[in-house]
This record gives sequence, C-alpha cells and structure tokens, in this order.
Amino acid sequence: MAKYILKRVLILIVTLWIVVTATFFLMQILPGTPYNNPHLTSSAIAQLNQTYGLDKPVMVQYFDYLVNMLHGNLGTSFQYQNQSVSTLIGQRLPVSAQLGLQALVVGILLGLWLGAISAKNQNNKVDGALGVVSTLGISVPSFILAIVLLYVFGYNLGWLPVSGWGDSFSETILPTLALAVGPAATTTRFVRSEMIDVLHSDYIQLARAKGLDGTQLIRRHAYRNSMIPILTLIGPMVANLLTGSTLVENIFSIPGIGQQFVSSIPTKDYPVIMGTTIVYAAMLMICILITDILTAVVDPRVRLK
Amino acid sequence: MKKWQMWTAAAVVVVVAVGGSRAAGWWGSNPSDDKSTLNYGLAAEVQNLDISKSTDTYSNTILGNTESNFLRVDSKGNPAPDLAKSYTVSSDGLTYTIKLRSGLKWSDGSALTAKDFVYSWQRIADPKTASQYSYLTSGVQNADDIVAGKKPVSDLGVKAEGDNTVVFTLERPMPQFKYLLSFAQFAPQKESFVKKAGSKYGTTSSEQIYSGPYKFEGWNGTNNKFKMVKNDNYWDAKDVKTDTVKWQVIKNPETAIKLYKEGKIDRAAINNSAEMYSANKGNKDVKDSAMAAATYLEYNQAKNPYLANEKIREALNLATNRKDLASQATGGTRDAATGLVSNSLVKAANGQDLAKYVNPGYTYDKAKAKELFAEGLKEVNKGKMNVSLETDADSPISKSTVDYLKQAWESTFGSDISVTEKVVPFKQRLQDSQNGNFDIVVSNWNGDYQDGSTFYDMFKATDTGMNNGQFKNQTYTDAVAKAEGQDANNPSARDADWKAAEAALKNDADINPLYSWKGASLVRSNVKGVVTNPAGLALDLTHAYRK
Repeated sequence: MAKYILKRVLILIVTLWIVVTATFFLMQILPGTPYNNPHLTSSAIAQLNQTYGLDKPVMVQYFDYLVNMLHGNLGTSFQYQNQSVSTLIGQRLPVSAQLGLQALVVGILLGLWLGAISAKNQNNKVDGALGVVSTLGISVPSFILAIVLLYVFGYNLGWLPVSGWGDSFSETILPTLALAVGPAATTTRFVRSEMIDVLHSDYIQLARAKGLDGTQLIRRHAYRNSMIPILTLIGPMVANLLTGSTLVENIFSIPGIGQQFVSSIPTKDYPVIMGTTIVYAAMLMICILITDILTAVVDPRVRLK
Repeated sequence: MKKWQMWTAAAVVVVVAVGGSRAAGWWGSNPSDDKSTLNYGLAAEVQNLDISKSTDTYSNTILGNTESNFLRVDSKGNPAPDLAKSYTVSSDGLTYTIKLRSGLKWSDGSALTAKDFVYSWQRIADPKTASQYSYLTSGVQNADDIVAGKKPVSDLGVKAEGDNTVVFTLERPMPQFKYLLSFAQFAPQKESFVKKAGSKYGTTSSEQIYSGPYKFEGWNGTNNKFKMVKNDNYWDAKDVKTDTVKWQVIKNPETAIKLYKEGKIDRAAINNSAEMYSANKGNKDVKDSAMAAATYLEYNQAKNPYLANEKIREALNLATNRKDLASQATGGTRDAATGLVSNSLVKAANGQDLAKYVNPGYTYDKAKAKELFAEGLKEVNKGKMNVSLETDADSPISKSTVDYLKQAWESTFGSDISVTEKVVPFKQRLQDSQNGNFDIVVSNWNGDYQDGSTFYDMFKATDTGMNNGQFKNQTYTDAVAKAEGQDANNPSARDADWKAAEAALKNDADINPLYSWKGASLVRSNVKGVVTNPAGLALDLTHAYRK
C-alpha cells in the first residue's frame, strides 16, 4: 500500500509539472495586456514590464517561475497589486471548500434516498418520474440551474437572498442547491441500479424469506453493499463541483477561488492564472487518489498495485 | 415510522428551521431603518488600497472616502479645503503654497504632517513603485524625468516647509492642478507605516491608515463585505453624521436593483443595459448624475490606407447618426456626442457646459457621405473597403453599438464597404489599441478631473498612450499647446483654444464621437448629503446621512 501511494504521489508531481508548463506557455498566447490604464505610454509599459520581469525571454520567465514555485512563492497579482497569490487563494479556498462540501453532502444524501425509493419502486410510476428528474438533473448544467433558482426563489418568491456570502447561512442555500442537483442525480441513478442488483442477490432473498419487510430490508441489508460504487463516484463528483462552482460563484457573488479563476483570465493576471490552475490540478489529483485508496479499504476485492 | 409520520416530522423540522433561523436574524433585518448606518454596493471587488497603485474605480471609491487630501471637491464641483487650511497660487501659476490645518492626525492618532504629502508624491512618481498613474504627476518640476528613471525622486518639485506647509513648483501653469490636490492617488501616506507594512501595504483594511472621514474595516483582501466607520481623528469629525457605511460586492446589476427594492442597499445603477434602463426609468427614486465619460471611434490612420484618407473618414463620420445611435443602440442610457469632450465635465468661463461651448457641429448627412466615400475610394484606388470594427465585450451596449454602426455604414455605402465586428475582452482591446492592431476601434475615456485638458491631452501628440490611431493634426496640437501655455491662466481664452482644438479634430475627421455617458441610479430619498462627481471620486459620502 505504502509503495502504491508513493508511486501515485510521484505521478502526481510529474502531472503537476506538465500542467504548470502547459498553462505557462498557453498563457503566453492569450491576447491582452496585464495593465489596466489605457493612458499608459509605450515607455511606461516598457518600464512596468521591466518591474514585473515581463521583458525577459519567455524561457527565463518560465524557469524563474518554477524556481519561485518550488520555494513556495506563487508571485504577486497584477490586478490586485501587492496581494500575493497565495493569500488570494488561501483566503478564497475555504469559501469554495465550504460550498463544495455542503453541495456534496446534500447531493449524496438526497441521491441515496431517491435512489433507494427508485429501486424499491422499480419500473412503476414513481421510478419513472424519478428517472426523468435525475436525467434532467444530470443534463442541466449547474449554472443554468443557479439562474433558475435565483429567479424563482430569489426574485419572484423572495424567500432567499440573491447574492453574498458570510453574513448568514441562508445565503448559502441557493448556491448549494444549484451545485447539489448534479451529484444528487448521478448518485440516484447509481444507487438505483446497484440496489436493484443487490435486491436480487441471494442474501436479500434469504432476508426476505425470514420475513423482513421492504423498508427494513433496504435500510438494514441493501444500503451498505450498494454504497461501494458511490465511493468511486465521489472523486469525479468533487472535480465537477470544483469546476461547476466557478460559474455559480460568479452568479451569486461568492468570494471563492472559482470566481478568482474566472476573473483572472480576461484580466490577464498571469500569476493568479498560474496559481489557481496549480491549486485546482493538485486538488483534483489528490481527490482521485484518496478515492482510489478508500475504495481499496472498503472493498477487499480491489487490490492496489 | 409510518409514512404520514415521516412527512409530518419533516414538515415540522422545516417550519422550525425556517422560523427559528428567521427569528434569530439569519435572514437579515431591514437595514434602511437604521439611521446611523448607510448601505452601498460595489460592482466589483476592492483590489487594493495602496494609494499610489490602485487603478480601479471601486478601490478608488473606498480610498476617496477613507483618505483625505489637501482639497475635497464639493457638491458644486469646486475643490474646497479639506486637510489644507488655505492655499495660494503665484501670479504666474507656477507655485502652489499650501498651509495645512493644525493638529491633523492619522486614524491611529499619530501626527499627520507636510512630509506625508511629499512622500506620497515622491512615491507615485518613483519608477520602483510601478504606479500606472505616475503620468498624473507630469507638470510638476522634474516629474517626467523622475518617472522615466532619469532623476532621483528627491528632485521632484514638492517640498515641505516645516510641518504645516507644502510648496509645489510646476513646470507649466496647470489650472487643473487644484483637482489633483483632491485626488485619492495623491492623498498623504505615512512613510514609516508604508515601509513597515512592506509588501503587505494596502492588502487588507488593517494594512492601511486613514486620514479621511472614515476608517475602513473588515476587509481581508478578498472578502465581499466590509464597512467604513467614522474616523474620530478626522479634523471635521463633528460634521460626519454617519457612524457606519456597510459595503457589499454585488456583481450582477439586476441583483443590485433587487436589493435596492428590498431596502438592503441605498443606491443601485440602472444604466447597465437598455432593457434595465427602460424597465426602471419610471421609478420615482431614479436620479441622474453627471459622468465625464465619452465613447468615440479611433481610425487607424497609421496602418490602414483607407482610413488614412480624409474623405473616407469624413464619410464614415457623416454616415453616423449619433442621435439615433444613442436612442436605438444604447436605449437612451447615453446622450449623443457633440464632440470629443463629454457632457457635464466642467462649465466654460461663460457659464455654458464646456461640451456645448466647444460644439464643432458634427452632422448626419447620408447623401454627402456617399459622395465623399466614392471620391475617397477612387483616391485610394484599392477597390472595396473591408474594415474591422473592434470593441470590448464588457457591456451589452458596446455590442449593440457596433451592430448599429455596421448596419448604418453598410446600408449607406452598399457593396463598397464590408464591416467585420470584432468583440473581444477589455484587456485584449486595450492591447490591440496600444499596438495599433485594429482598423476602427471603439474607445472610452473617463476624465481624470474636471478640466478640458483631461480630454484634449489625449491627442496632443502621437505618444500620449491614448492616440491609438496615431494621427497628427498640427492645428489641434497648436491649439492645445496654446491652452496649456500662454492661455493657461486665462480661462476664456483657454476655452476658445479648446474650441479650436475640437474644430480641428472635426475638420480632419480624426475621431468619430459617438456618445457621452450619464449616470442613472435608484437613490434612497431619505439619504442626504451624498456628492457624486463626474470625474475623480464617483461617490463621496463624507457628509452623507440618513434623515
């Protein structure tokens, strides 16, 4: 196991390096100036470029960046002058993490419940309705859903706040729901098919023969074994939540890392683009690694090599 | 548990949770009843509070209310003494002697002296600071050389005489200089504080000290809610009637309007799109405010042979119906332009709005446009004109503007012209403008201060950073030089020079003025004493209070 983890960590580092390199050079092609003021003369721009080291050859800039990164220095934002990239990310990450976690918990719990109902009612009206709902949930992107929720519950009904973060829990409800529907729908479908399999297995037949009724049977015996595949889903789900949250954060004015990432690209804030990409990439790879390890722990049939 | 029991239990939980949290204030109370507090929204994050380096409007709004300068622009648009007790200008307009009020203090209680002003001017001019606003120091003795790194900052023509007097020496008379003395970018900075904060200076509300009516609190550099609280060390604290101004970042303009209508904020702009404007303009709370911002087209005369031809440029100008553009493409959120200078920038010496006084008489004449275009094409002798029209995608209005122009020109000149729209992000448009990588570009300029020179300086040479079309117009250059030289201390002669400059621009069809901006917002009627400036500090809350 230790050997396996070490190997995976090494692969992770190499992948991260590839991501850094690719992002760095792609960013060079991105059109636009990093400066805000239209009144800058060409000599003023030359001087600013010198201050920020942008006048050096690209390869030199690249190696400078790698060296600084290895020293834990991600640079200083151009747009938020003076603000270090690690502060910008460090302060915003917990916000995104809270939102992501809330959405994940709500999504999975909802999915487990709906999936079980669906399986129990296999092929009847309830199952059919849930099938339609979950297909919709998977196909409608979270940012579209966010706008619909915002419009209905924020504008029309006025039940929930339409923007902001940090003042009250109620502000987190709409964005959490918008992000939770995707995972909920995916979980529903997985739990349904898995549970239908499980419900036909021998030990369930035995439990049934012993006289357990439907709800008891599912709660006591069927759930546990149907949950294994859900674990493998969590990795990709976290990935989806992270990328989905970029737009949802923008819609609800949530000061998370996603919003930072989105706004850094059109403003050509090189250090922030690099920093957020690295953090995103690292988080995704770590999530997937953890999922793989967890699966092995939960299901002894899986062997890690 | 039976099914109905489960549903009942669930319903009870929901009711208790909603009711309980509402009672606990989780859902927010109605803030517009609280008299000691005002509530405002910002359309984007505060980026930094480094006085010399901040470039965005939103940071500037916070800085302008939390930092003071010698002067502060009053509700009539005149710079009035703030930290300065008085100032005198020598008869040649080259020396400004400013006396500070006695006993001025920073928000931390330490003494605020003349040295803090000198340090701030030196810091912004210092190339090591890398300020994007260093050009604003131009005109102060040696500023250009210092900005270019050719002279030490100690040579700058700003000196402290004792603790209470600051003397500025200028290279040329600048009537607009008094506005610079009210700018947030030139507000005093305490050297020991800046040095101690080092690279963290201005990155959070506690990494800055305040000389203005309010102190800034609760901003950690990235969060979206923060507040300004009354600064008891401000010299005029007794006239600051509001204890707290709460701010929140609201990026979506529709959301801001919604929050305004719920009573959560005291002001919301309605001019972001034509739809929003028409949906809200009938509201009784709507208030217009002046904005010194203009939108115009630049023709790339240096690189495009068609646009180097004066007749073609003239034809394009004549084929632009500005009144129709303002009402159709912008839905009435902008006013048709009459020249380069925006409306409501400043009053001319004769009392008229400067834009009205200098009006060179741009007209719409389809027949003459056609005639000139045909002649121009013959002169260029390269066949049909294929031209790109570039704008940034930041507002829906810029897209409808290029749509309108494309349609108008193609219907006027028929098969002789083909217009390609190029809608790009703001920063790409800026780079394309700076590199001359465009045919025709939609440019915007928001004046820095309330004086004609903030507009006319843009084209006085090819290397101003704003003359992206790289045109040379000697008549124009001479008129601006006269206004800033021999006529600098003679307001009415200076206005006449601006008028001549504006006429020269029209004569050569060097630019195509499109529209002049104006502010329209929903404004809470019981909030009094708010000052909105067409240039500089957009929203001044020094004397704002809720009645």
